[in-house]
Amino acid sequence: MDIRKIFQQYSDRTSYPEIGEDGKPIIDLSSHKYLKMWQGPQHPGVTGNMSLELTVCGDEIVESKTHVGYLHRGFEKLMERRKFIQCFPTCIRMCVAEPDPNEYLLARCVEELSGIEVPEMAQWLRTLVLEMARLQVLLRGVPGQGGTFALGLGYQWGNYIRDLILDRFEELTGGRVYHMYILPGGVRGLLPDGFKKRMEENLKLADEFVKSIDDLMYSNSVFKQRAKGLAVIPKEYIDKYGVYGPSARAAGVMRDVRKTNPYLKYAELDFEPYTTTESDVYARSRVRWYDLQTTIDLIRQIMAKMPEKGEIKAPTPNVLHWKIPKGETYVKCESSRGEYGMYMVTDGSDMPRRVNLKGPSYTHANMLLEKLLINANIADTAGIMVSLATCPPEIER
Amino acid sequence: MQKIIQDIESRYSVSEKEIRRNNLCFLTIPKNQAISLVTYLRDYQGYSAFTLLTAVDWIEEGHFQLTYLLNNPTNYTEIGVRTMIERDHATMESAHHLWESMQTYQRELKEMFGIDFPGSPRVDEDFILEGWTDIPPYRRDFDTKKYAEETYFPRPGRETNDPAEYMKSKLFPND
Amino acid sequence: MSLKDILTPFTAWKRVARTPVTVRDPFNDRPGADRYRGFHKNDVDTCIGCGTCESICENEAIDLVPFKDPVSGDSGLRPRIDYGRCCWCALCVDVCTTNSLTLSNEYTWVATDPEEYRYTPGVDKKSWDENEKGWKKPEGNYEFYDLNRVAMHHLHPEERSDSFIEMVTGYSKEQAMTEADRCVECGICIATCPAHMGIPEYIKAVRNDNMEEGMRVLYETNPLPEICGRICTHKCETVCSIGHKGDPLSIRWLKRYIADQIPSDKYKEILNTNNLEVNDKKVAIIGSGPSGLSAAHYLRLMGYQVTIFEQYAEAGGMMRYGIPEYRLPYDQLDKDINYILSLGVEIKYNTRIGDKITLADLGKKYDAVFAGTGLHLGRGTGIPGSDNEHVYYSTDLLRKITAGEKIEVADSVVVIGGGNVAMDITRSLARLQMKKYGRINIIATSLENEENMPADREEVVEAREEGAIIHPGWAPQSIEIENGVPIGLHVVKCNSLFDETGRFNPQCSMDIKEYWPGKMVVQSIGQGMDMTYLSDEFKENITFGPRGRVQTNEYFQTGVGWFFMGGDIIEGPDVIHGIANGHKAAVGIDRYIQDKLNSKQ
Repeated sequence: MDIRKIFQQYSDRTSYPEIGEDGKPIIDLSSHKYLKMWQGPQHPGVTGNMSLELTVCGDEIVESKTHVGYLHRGFEKLMERRKFIQCFPTCIRMCVAEPDPNEYLLARCVEELSGIEVPEMAQWLRTLVLEMARLQVLLRGVPGQGGTFALGLGYQWGNYIRDLILDRFEELTGGRVYHMYILPGGVRGLLPDGFKKRMEENLKLADEFVKSIDDLMYSNSVFKQRAKGLAVIPKEYIDKYGVYGPSARAAGVMRDVRKTNPYLKYAELDFEPYTTTESDVYARSRVRWYDLQTTIDLIRQIMAKMPEKGEIKAPTPNVLHWKIPKGETYVKCESSRGEYGMYMVTDGSDMPRRVNLKGPSYTHANMLLEKLLINANIADTAGIMVSLATCPPEIER
Repeated sequence: MQKIIQDIESRYSVSEKEIRRNNLCFLTIPKNQAISLVTYLRDYQGYSAFTLLTAVDWIEEGHFQLTYLLNNPTNYTEIGVRTMIERDHATMESAHHLWESMQTYQRELKEMFGIDFPGSPRVDEDFILEGWTDIPPYRRDFDTKKYAEETYFPRPGRETNDPAEYMKSKLFPND
Repeated sequence: MSLKDILTPFTAWKRVARTPVTVRDPFNDRPGADRYRGFHKNDVDTCIGCGTCESICENEAIDLVPFKDPVSGDSGLRPRIDYGRCCWCALCVDVCTTNSLTLSNEYTWVATDPEEYRYTPGVDKKSWDENEKGWKKPEGNYEFYDLNRVAMHHLHPEERSDSFIEMVTGYSKEQAMTEADRCVECGICIATCPAHMGIPEYIKAVRNDNMEEGMRVLYETNPLPEICGRICTHKCETVCSIGHKGDPLSIRWLKRYIADQIPSDKYKEILNTNNLEVNDKKVAIIGSGPSGLSAAHYLRLMGYQVTIFEQYAEAGGMMRYGIPEYRLPYDQLDKDINYILSLGVEIKYNTRIGDKITLADLGKKYDAVFAGTGLHLGRGTGIPGSDNEHVYYSTDLLRKITAGEKIEVADSVVVIGGGNVAMDITRSLARLQMKKYGRINIIATSLENEENMPADREEVVEAREEGAIIHPGWAPQSIEIENGVPIGLHVVKCNSLFDETGRFNPQCSMDIKEYWPGKMVVQSIGQGMDMTYLSDEFKENITFGPRGRVQTNEYFQTGVGWFFMGGDIIEGPDVIHGIANGHKAAVGIDRYIQDKLNSKQ
């Protein structure tokens, strides 16, 4: 028995609003058929500090506009007046939940433009840290999808294990949230004694979590009811709207930088990103659930394959006056949300000329979300947003 | 990569090229050919995914550099199409018809750099900044430090000493 | 939808029986990890207040505040951190030149007054000061700047031991830029340099490959850069902040690099000295050593008419007649001197003040006089046999070598002395032996033991490389004379030089003896000053301090208003003190003359 079908029998709103000549809906607020409402910036169902200006008819959204700017600190501009090493504590803040790809991209841009080769050991450690970052995001993000449909229990389980992963981050990098570990030239430390053993214990818990969240969420009839068939992204949207990572893979399009443009040590690791074709909220969440398993497996592979000792940093020019010749590059990596790239232009001085960070949220939360929300139910807004894993700081940087 | 660059060079006037990696290169072409090249790459060369559009302010030379970065999802290569536009009354042909996501980039550039893209939907709507009255803040002549000093109040009681100056004042003030 | 889909979520209930995982007392049960980036600690005794932490802090959270009075090598400042701005990135720790700054693993701190969160670690005592754990600079090859200096290429001992050609080849452009890149621009060195040269500035000029700018910086405080760039005692390098963890910057070689890049004919254009003004005031300078040349240079820039009186046939003083050519080639010496003379400085050679012209004559004819007459008299040991005519003073021999006079070097030589001059004469005589006999047989001995030898370490090492034997820690007793010529030196073991009160009082083991044969003995245990140009009535008006040195004010002005003295006779002995004295005296002379003019009006 589908509730929607029952609902639609009584009220067919598909004809609202009428579409004007310019292809846009004609919304006359004075007609009392429509209501403007804001979701966010303070709203538990919004991922971070952004807001959606929704025009609803009943409880159905007829138009949506994304508003960002609540978190704009102008990091790209701030970096233009910072030395390359000073950009390193700045850049991480462009995505709070998963700061490590920022560190990696900045380091890689600087290294590529100044022609520095990073030692083998540092590359392994970078790979490890990037996967650990993905793990901690997914431990929250996977059950978080349940949370948007009022299934908060899994979130608690995930968060506990995430905290343990943050403990590992703390002992490896000295920080729990902002790790500041991957810096231009290398990394800032070898694995502490006993790290692998403790990590393995945490991974066992994560394995168990993978199983229990499957029982709790993916087999859950309520979750299935709400997530399946919701906010389908057609395959042709992938390029048209700029859809990346798990969201693209849920539509059957292979988008994973780790596989398509292997960086660091990913070419030496054995993994196959999961793809499916349903492309709804359930499928996107399911892709992330498989990603979680891939990541757990990758961390085990990395720990088994990485050398015990080695150089952690390549020699660099004096960081206090490190000048980089004129040039530009674009470096990308796969964050938990999809392709995450940094475009850097240098002009021969000791500061970057321009840094531009491109995260998947930029397209996901703007044109794509606005499109997907049309005809959706208000109550599903949070679910749709979380399924796209939008992260406002990377939109406004 | 070499093959496609040769192909582009035979069709467009490429003034500068920079091959960064075997899967990334940047080409500079005139303003009036840029959108045409982007369209050509999208429709005929498989660069169907659009990665980013951004601007670089070369204030000393008096122009903005626009970079359209395109991705080819089949051979995983990227081409950056660079074009220089006049900094004064900066205007560029809109490319919103090529990708849905393009209008967001153009809207941001209008706001942050003051580059106009006539015809681009919602290009005049505020994007990140609401109620901004100063010059577009990502231009090089916008001084963030000065802005911060004028807008916010510094914490009182901060003072610092330069080691060399301090030692001079204490050890050899008259030299 | 299957029945399973409805039932499986209930498996979550099995977790009800699990023990909670919450940390019960987070303040005590949850210390930060070993590497945790918590609150700052600073070992204030190790810290030198170089301020690299402040330079790298992108949040501008660090201020340098006075902690104690500055001394050479320590600015006396210490970093104060504003926790309203700090982001705990720990770059300040990683860049620290002394490793004094660290982070503890403490992360909880409750205070009601926001001002408390701005504190000077190590000075303001905190509960975490003793915490061993926390962030420290990572071990291994993890450095933010190169700790190793770019090695300077020297001629191989075989290539140099029989000739006087310059043995240090100088940096290439690439080497100089790499070396200059290591500088952190703290400026601690400036206070230690007697001339207070703008060291970080000229190193920056090397980094930016802007030699003209570098040249201008050099000439602000030092008109003899080619010379100083070769033979300066580089006290600055002893306090270089990079030297705390690695090799100090090669400040001296970088200075030489700048001067070497500029040809003589470009000097005036770069330094903007083509059309110097001339006023009607005259200054006489006695001696064309570093202090005299420096005073002449700066006085000439101020417009004065300057005349130098030089007792020898060529200018340069000890730089020419004391320092061997392999350390300071004459063409480089001439390059600096000729530039100063080209500014319109007059020089009278072979004119010794006190002979035909007296000091009093100068006082009448000139508005002011500066004397930088140096230490040219050899000092003797006074041991039996030292009055023999074949027992020499090093100063005399070095002067003769420069003047091209023939020296009958013996096939075996003993040098008494362990300072730089002793090394100079040892190595010079070794070269002459090599030329004449094809082999080296020379022994140098010093009272001081190996660690305390006054000569620069590199001088000792290089002398040994060239084949000289250095025996530190022996006290000369007598020179054995046979048929009117010396045949060897008797020494005994010297254990210590100073007593508890710090007085010079050598203690020797008389039973540990050695005898070194040598047909030529050279004494090089210090030099004295020749003050005969000061007449008795003159001496009444000036005050003498310890060790017979004339006392001057800070502008090197003596009790006789128009008479200034500087250089080795006042401070030193070394070139850079002389240059600094000359500069300061020039300023003093200018003030003296201007004051006199003003009082007349």
